[in-house]
Amino acid sequence: MADSLATISSLRKSFGDLKAVDDLSFSIRQGETFGLLGPNGAGKTTTISMLVGLLKPDSGTVSIGSPECSNASDPTLPRVRKLVGVAPQTLSIYEAMSAKENLEFFGQLYGISGTKLRERVAWCLDFAQLADRAKSRVSTFSGGMKRRLNIAVALLHEPAVLLLDEPTVGVDPQSRNHIFECIQTLREQGMTILYTTHYMEEAQRLCDRVAIVDHGKLLALDTVDHLLRQYGGASVVTADLETTPNGVEIPGTRTGNTIRFEAQHPLEEVARLSGKGVAFQTLNIAQPNLESVFLTLTGRKLRDE
Amino acid sequence: MNQVLVMAIKDLRLLFRDKLGAFFIIGFPILMGLFFGMVMGGPSSAGAQSKIKIAMVDLDQSEVSGEFVRFMAAHESIALAESDYDAARESVRKGQRMAMVVLEKGFGETAGVFWNQPPTIQVGVDPSRAAEAAMLQGMVMEGIGQLAGQRMTDMSSMSDTLASARDDLAADETISPGNRLLFNTFLGSLENMQKSIDALQTDSSVSSAGPVNAGGFEFAKIESIDVSRKIDPKSQAGQMRQLKSKWDISFPQAMMWGVLACVAGFAISIARERTQGTMMRLQIAPITRSQILMGKALACFLSVILVVAFMIGLGMFLGMRPGNYWMLAIAALCVATCFTGIMMIMSNLGKTEQSVNGAGWAISMVMAMIGGAMIPVMFMPQFMQKLSYLSPIKWAILAVEGAVWREFSVAEMMLPCGILLVTGLVGMAVGTAILTRE
Ligand SMILES: Nc1ncnc2c1ncn2[C@@H]1O[C@H](COP(=O)(O)OP(=O)(O)O)[C@@H](O)[C@H]1O
Ligand SMILES: [Mg+2]
Repeated sequence: MADSLATISSLRKSFGDLKAVDDLSFSIRQGETFGLLGPNGAGKTTTISMLVGLLKPDSGTVSIGSPECSNASDPTLPRVRKLVGVAPQTLSIYEAMSAKENLEFFGQLYGISGTKLRERVAWCLDFAQLADRAKSRVSTFSGGMKRRLNIAVALLHEPAVLLLDEPTVGVDPQSRNHIFECIQTLREQGMTILYTTHYMEEAQRLCDRVAIVDHGKLLALDTVDHLLRQYGGASVVTADLETTPNGVEIPGTRTGNTIRFEAQHPLEEVARLSGKGVAFQTLNIAQPNLESVFLTLTGRKLRDE
Repeated sequence: MNQVLVMAIKDLRLLFRDKLGAFFIIGFPILMGLFFGMVMGGPSSAGAQSKIKIAMVDLDQSEVSGEFVRFMAAHESIALAESDYDAARESVRKGQRMAMVVLEKGFGETAGVFWNQPPTIQVGVDPSRAAEAAMLQGMVMEGIGQLAGQRMTDMSSMSDTLASARDDLAADETISPGNRLLFNTFLGSLENMQKSIDALQTDSSVSSAGPVNAGGFEFAKIESIDVSRKIDPKSQAGQMRQLKSKWDISFPQAMMWGVLACVAGFAISIARERTQGTMMRLQIAPITRSQILMGKALACFLSVILVVAFMIGLGMFLGMRPGNYWMLAIAALCVATCFTGIMMIMSNLGKTEQSVNGAGWAISMVMAMIGGAMIPVMFMPQFMQKLSYLSPIKWAILAVEGAVWREFSVAEMMLPCGILLVTGLVGMAVGTAILTRE
């Protein structure tokens, strides 16, 4: 893959007996949003830490670089670090400083100054929709605002790759949508993004390709569509029936007026029944999602409810 | 380097933004300095207006010597006590009195009479009080001048006689021209002499540090007595005698609380970078770990310098007069180095802010207490004084005091400054090693 911006191959990391990352390989292509989906403790954060050189892998390699420079690059080199922007899972901004001061400080650390710095800070404040609160201390911000600032700081130095580690954890639904919008904007602008999450609907909604990991192992890696088609199984149709003409055979199970059946092509099946005179009181079609993909792959649910 | 500075500026900003932290760095030391300064009161010789304590030994016991003693006692700059020779000498040696003045037998016969051998006055002055010694010498001369003046009042009454005699002489036509010339010459020279004595008298009373030898007449011979001090300069009294202002002790010791607050503040801030997650962002930024730590160290160093400078400035505003500004600057640099090193070690005392804070203050309190930041080391019991050698605070106070009022020589400064520097450098090396290894 010539156009990959970040590649890990055969990455392993153990903490004592625990294999946090176990022979993990993938490449992130330029311009795509790459999802790393797995339950808590799957090894997502550990993978990101190795990707940015915070942790040293036990074995395997990490390389980050633009397609132009072909040689694999060590993530601890300052030149390489400037290519990467990270929004860590744990908020990493100064509570006692304002949004603007945080951005200015980190900008200076990346060697940005003067007009350029002012422009970037303004852009980031705008991006995070915090321009009107620029001078307020972060300690007065809501969880969602802090998360947005946490992402904005990662974008300050215009990185080639953006790594977002569970950017919606601990955020109310409204702020979450807010963050989705921000990420959607970045996608449209052609940003290359690694997005880790344990929410399958986020991966499904935002990501071009998704790698599903569990216990540090890669279980599947493909586009969302392909994953669903391959591992999602059938859709589940549940309905309450009003009238059932005699002689019409109803698939699946029936208790009273309620029926439940699985189908690869649920709409066609419903249309067929309807054509035979079956009248539906209620109709519910549950399409397969990444949750069911995960269930198929591991026999477990993604989240313990 | 630029990055290190960016880090340091950020840390200083955060430090002073924390209201409680800022209070402990600036507010608390000010309160301590003022409080202890007031409580301790000033040194006995504080201020230019205070009196010079002298012991007066009058071996002559004549009317004239009594006159001289009365004059000296009445002088506004002198606190005088009469005593015998041995007691006087002892009191100067022990540092209770600044000087002794001895009027020898026969003083009354010769003092102020210009044609006699001048009287000998013995003066013994505490060797450490050169400035006051010069003043005292002036006052003694003033006293003698006064005596001479008094003696001449006889002469000034004579001058009336002389004048009337001349008038009589002029009016008396019975005197022959030759005799008239003779008398006139005689009376004229008497008048001249009297005028010059008048001039002398005004001279010596105007100038407080009057010349020993005025108008060609030797007025008094001042002989110095050896009163080399028996007082141990290391004793409490010996040290207290060097104080120049009542803030001399309280401010150097109070500023150490601010220094310790800086140390605690930055030690905690390293732990805080971890707990609030910002350490991670620093670590993935294009700077090295040692740059991150150098930023912290620089901020701590600067804040200690700031605290010392601020407290010295406030002390000076209140009347403290540092003896040597160069040494003071060097002392401040050494103190800052030392406590930056201590900060680097302290930041390893725990993983969370609370644990670093707890352990850090516990150690700081011990250092401060045995180091004399609460009660000056010189007032401590002997074993505590020995223990204090272990506390960097003691050496920090000593270095600052050495420059402010102890009048340390370069060699004397070497010890505290050397200890501070070595402690600081070792602390930085060890602290950095631990922090970068994890
Ligand atoms: N520093 C560490 N020391 C010991 N175990 C760790 C450490 N970091 C992570 N782990 C363990 O490694 C596993 C993977 O963790 P992590 O990468 O944070 O998972 P995720 O981000 O997918 O939730 C977890 O079981 C976690 O407990
Ligand atoms: Mg994680």
